[in-house]
Amino acid sequence: MVSMTELSKMHGSPESAARLKKRKAAQWRLQAYGILAVVLAGAALVTLLWSVVSKASAVLTESYISMPVVLEVADIDPDGTNDPAVIGKANFGGIAKDTLKLTFPTVTARNDKREMYDIISSGAAFELREMVMENPTLIGETVDFRFLASDIADLYLKGSYGELTEQENSGALTIDSDGKTATITSSADDFTFVMAQVRADLLAKAAFNRQQATLQENGRVVFEERALTAATSEEGAANSAEAVKRAVERDRLIALAVDFEERAALGGSTEALDKNSPSVLVRTSSGWLKLTEISPQGGSGKIIGEVESATLDAADWQVYLQPTPEASRKVSDLQAMLIEDLRSKDAVHIVFNTRFFTSGDSREPELAGIWGAAVGSFWTMLVTITLAFPIGVLAAIYLEEFAKKNAINDMIEVNINNLAAVPSIVFGLLGLAVFLGVFGVPRSAPLAGGMVLAVMTLPTIIIASRAAIKAVPPSIRDAALGLGASKLQTAFHHVLPLSMPGILTGTILGMAQALGETAPLIMIGMVAFIVDIPTGITDSASALPVQIFRWSDFPERGFEARTSAAILVLLLFLVLMNGLAVFLRKRFERRW
Amino acid sequence: MTNMRMTEKGVTTDDVKISTKNVDVFYGDNHAIKDVSVDILDKTVTAFIGPSGCGKSTFLRCLNRMNDTIDSCRITGEFLMDGEDIYAKKVDPVQLRARVGMVFQKPNPFPKSIFDNVAYGPRIHGLVGNKTDLEEVVEQSLRRAAIWKEVKDRLDAPGTSLSGGQQQRLCIARAIATAPEVLLMDEPASALDPIATAQIEELIDELRHDYSVVIVTHSMQQAARVSQRTAFFHLGDMVEYGETSTIFTNPVDQRTQDYITGRFG
Repeated sequence: MVSMTELSKMHGSPESAARLKKRKAAQWRLQAYGILAVVLAGAALVTLLWSVVSKASAVLTESYISMPVVLEVADIDPDGTNDPAVIGKANFGGIAKDTLKLTFPTVTARNDKREMYDIISSGAAFELREMVMENPTLIGETVDFRFLASDIADLYLKGSYGELTEQENSGALTIDSDGKTATITSSADDFTFVMAQVRADLLAKAAFNRQQATLQENGRVVFEERALTAATSEEGAANSAEAVKRAVERDRLIALAVDFEERAALGGSTEALDKNSPSVLVRTSSGWLKLTEISPQGGSGKIIGEVESATLDAADWQVYLQPTPEASRKVSDLQAMLIEDLRSKDAVHIVFNTRFFTSGDSREPELAGIWGAAVGSFWTMLVTITLAFPIGVLAAIYLEEFAKKNAINDMIEVNINNLAAVPSIVFGLLGLAVFLGVFGVPRSAPLAGGMVLAVMTLPTIIIASRAAIKAVPPSIRDAALGLGASKLQTAFHHVLPLSMPGILTGTILGMAQALGETAPLIMIGMVAFIVDIPTGITDSASALPVQIFRWSDFPERGFEARTSAAILVLLLFLVLMNGLAVFLRKRFERRW
Repeated sequence: MTNMRMTEKGVTTDDVKISTKNVDVFYGDNHAIKDVSVDILDKTVTAFIGPSGCGKSTFLRCLNRMNDTIDSCRITGEFLMDGEDIYAKKVDPVQLRARVGMVFQKPNPFPKSIFDNVAYGPRIHGLVGNKTDLEEVVEQSLRRAAIWKEVKDRLDAPGTSLSGGQQQRLCIARAIATAPEVLLMDEPASALDPIATAQIEELIDELRHDYSVVIVTHSMQQAARVSQRTAFFHLGDMVEYGETSTIFTNPVDQRTQDYITGRFG
């Protein structure tokens, strides 16, 4: 027999106080975990956004180089027809090259000229062509035209390939030039710091080679062991040979390392500079000198531009150091020097990059834009929502209000719920087989993509709509039925408006998910390289996530920033769609 | 086991509006209504009383075929309204419910404007042709439900913005707007405070001049105040049916006597 009065006495006891303490501690811990989770999530979000935004910020601007273009009548329209078709056939690429040759007359070697042409984009010639076609009166004149800089020039101007850092100089420079090469000597120790940098670079190379040698040594040891434990003599011989190869390689690397170290140790003497060492450039008012040999007082090297024998005051010459070796970057020293010349002539214009938002895809990073993919995504989403929303909502109404509760309908419900979990690429296969194969929908078209995504989104919409419809209280239905409304009228006049907030939320979430899907679109061919902006649902198109996927694969560094920028555009779309969902919810919200 | 006696004293009209015979209602295997026969008279308030779970609401819902919406419900027996079987195949339950209106226990106005609430019935049944007539019908219904004065200046306000009593009167107005012949009321005042309840009861007393009213109520005092006829239900049987005054002063069946004196229920 339990006495209730005895039990009542337990409420104030020290044991119950201890229990209370434990409960409170557990609650506090749970709250702490919750706050910790939120903080971690926030940190992850901030990190993601920071990395994407900082990479994408390079896309904000693009660079143009303005140079005077001589539009010879003989080159463009010799017969004076003023016919755009004739003008369009002229060799504007050649005109662009001629412009560069005119701007830099001292660049003559074949390789050098090729590097010079690479400063401007291949699309610049087309833009020149369009300008002349629109305005034939310009033929015969010399116009200042803004040439779009190539992706490497643009990246150089943005500092992606390392900066040419100017060093301090205080001495007077004596130049001994023969037109092609020159020797220079400074009256002060202006080159000491640079020498030190070169030496440091040598030591770094030595350390790297030693590290590689260690790896070779490790490999040699492994192969020796294998040779000892080999089952057959052929295997043993093969392993021994491998070991020997490793030993030879190791020794070579160590020899190189020793060589680098010895050179670094020699203070005061000259050091040869090649494309694997940092670049040292000396600039005067008329030209540049690229050093091939350096000493603490000066050095000797190749002339770019015009440099004559003279003695210059400290203010009239500068020395630059580029720590990244020429072999490790895409911008050669010559290109860097030419661009710096243009920059000091104020021929370089860095403007806001509207091209990214208005042009379609391109193989050249500087010409590539997101507009084509954005429009493609828009058309695809349009098709998706036009198909998925009515079908989904009506299906949900039917299943909730009209269908009888029997085994068949239970199975349908289970299958719809399961479809929501099917991997999206399977829907792509369905689209490929049925929509493209049987219905003959054009490949790569938003129509096909929209249909596939609609099928994929349908389960999400149906499930969300059913939940929203179930949540409408039966009193509303009773009231409507009691007035003599039919089931159809009750469903559409009363239940549907009241369940709209939930339906819309589910729809927008489904659409946002569909917007970011890549796999099914790949299956139906929307991953092709599409340059034109699609004008309808049957034109070939790409989509934003697919575009991101393709750009992230390209090797050009210019696409790195553009991939991040495209990701930001996609995120913006998603934020807008979620904002729309919130707005529509508020607007349709009723109280019952 | 029905023990039924009808007396003619004090009845305003003896036209039978709805006649029911040998009604059985099953919810699955549960025998909810057992062989009930009762005649609802026109222009009269008939009250169904009885303890909780005795089947009065179920029976009420049979009268406008609302139990059709429940899949597990099975109904046998005869229901005649104006001599015609309302459960015949050719009868559309939707049309029936326009003639037999219903007011529920918890006020359930639509989340639309007051005007649209009342206008919904006439609209879907096509009762009026133009806007002026519709406005007139709405006004008349609201007047009959004794709520016109309170809402005439804010017909666009949502129906849910009214107080509980006002909402219930709105629901009554809404039910009246379809010009029914019978009004079914399932405990219409049980969710309301005493003042609102009094207003509803006064309203019911006026409504009986135009409609046949059947009201289910928990409160015996309410039944005594408001109705002319009363049926006492107990565990699915209809135990006694007769004039209200007789039921409450001189019941025939012992169970009735026990219920009204408060021994159970």
